[in-house]
Amino acid sequence: MIAAGSGSNGAQPDDATLLLAVRDFFETVDPMPLDLPERIRFALALHDLEAEVARMARTVHETAWVARGAEESRIVTFDSDSLTIMIRIQPNSDGTARVDGWLAPPQAHQVEMSMADDSITAIADKLGRFVFYSVPRGTGRLIVRPPTASAAGERGGDPSYAVNSVITPALTLLAGE
Amino acid sequence: MDDNGVLTADQVGEDDQRARIAGLVNDAKQGRREAVGELVSELSPLLWQVARASGLSSSDAEDVLQSVWLNLLANLDAIRTPASLTSWLITATRRQAWRVRAADRRQKPVDHEWLTAIPDAGADSEQRLIMKDEQRELWEALRSLPGRCQKLLRIVAFVPRPDYDDIAARLGMPRGSVGPTRGRCLDKLRSALDGEGGQR
Repeated sequence: MIAAGSGSNGAQPDDATLLLAVRDFFETVDPMPLDLPERIRFALALHDLEAEVARMARTVHETAWVARGAEESRIVTFDSDSLTIMIRIQPNSDGTARVDGWLAPPQAHQVEMSMADDSITAIADKLGRFVFYSVPRGTGRLIVRPPTASAAGERGGDPSYAVNSVITPALTLLAGE
Repeated sequence: MDDNGVLTADQVGEDDQRARIAGLVNDAKQGRREAVGELVSELSPLLWQVARASGLSSSDAEDVLQSVWLNLLANLDAIRTPASLTSWLITATRRQAWRVRAADRRQKPVDHEWLTAIPDAGADSEQRLIMKDEQRELWEALRSLPGRCQKLLRIVAFVPRPDYDDIAARLGMPRGSVGPTRGRCLDKLRSALDGEGGQR
């Protein structure tokens, strides 16, 4: 039995005690991951205020049979108002990941893979294709910048000029160890 | 305040939280990023419950929370009061959760979506072990409630009372009805707990 709160006079718990118990219950059976606020703060710190935020639209898991056995790859699609970003994540044998991506509609944009303490950049070709050959294990997010915005950055302009940049939520590139 | 106009300890705590959030919202609007970080710590546990209660997997819930907070940054100007912050965040979380579920066609519709996170009785003995006796009792009692009550209690357990009217609309309930409905659902929960105790 839920213990009655000090404010109640009978054996039955009062509303506040009961609600607290409900809260405890959900926090026990379905707790938020402890490090989630930290990861969200990381994501916010990277956030370019002017960027469009893409939503994760779908994830498809594929298993390909290669010489040394099954190889899992994952195709993740992000949607924003102006752009769809699709990436395929495949594990490399050295523990890193290869990320192939496509932008739709196709456009030659600068694509940045931003991680906790590092970031790498690729340029999408005219067909909107880009590739990161070796991305370290961990959490990363993509920032896609239109040519004008990256040019402004190169000219030493205010980075916040990247009006139509698109930023994705962070995702874990390779699950497990 | 309760019916006798007395401020309960519970409400004093809520008022403190409200004042703190109000201060953080102001700081955030003035561009203090640490304030946003503190809001993230303060309100993410609630949004987690909202996302999970909407039937999302853990990893989808994480993604949704991230994009909700990112979207908030771009919409800080629209937030006028601390209560509207909470309801803005809840709405954004529910909307995105719906979008993710709609996009994921493989996911079958969930009837009792608000308790999907709770393991079935007899399933997963490890999960049962970490629950205290009284939590197991509460679990059985919650499961016996109508879906509407399960949904409401899961959310209001994480939301301060002054925000009830704001969340009413988000939950598709009339203004002023969250408090009374909460009362009725808690009564049902109490009798369910009582009934279960009686069987033993």
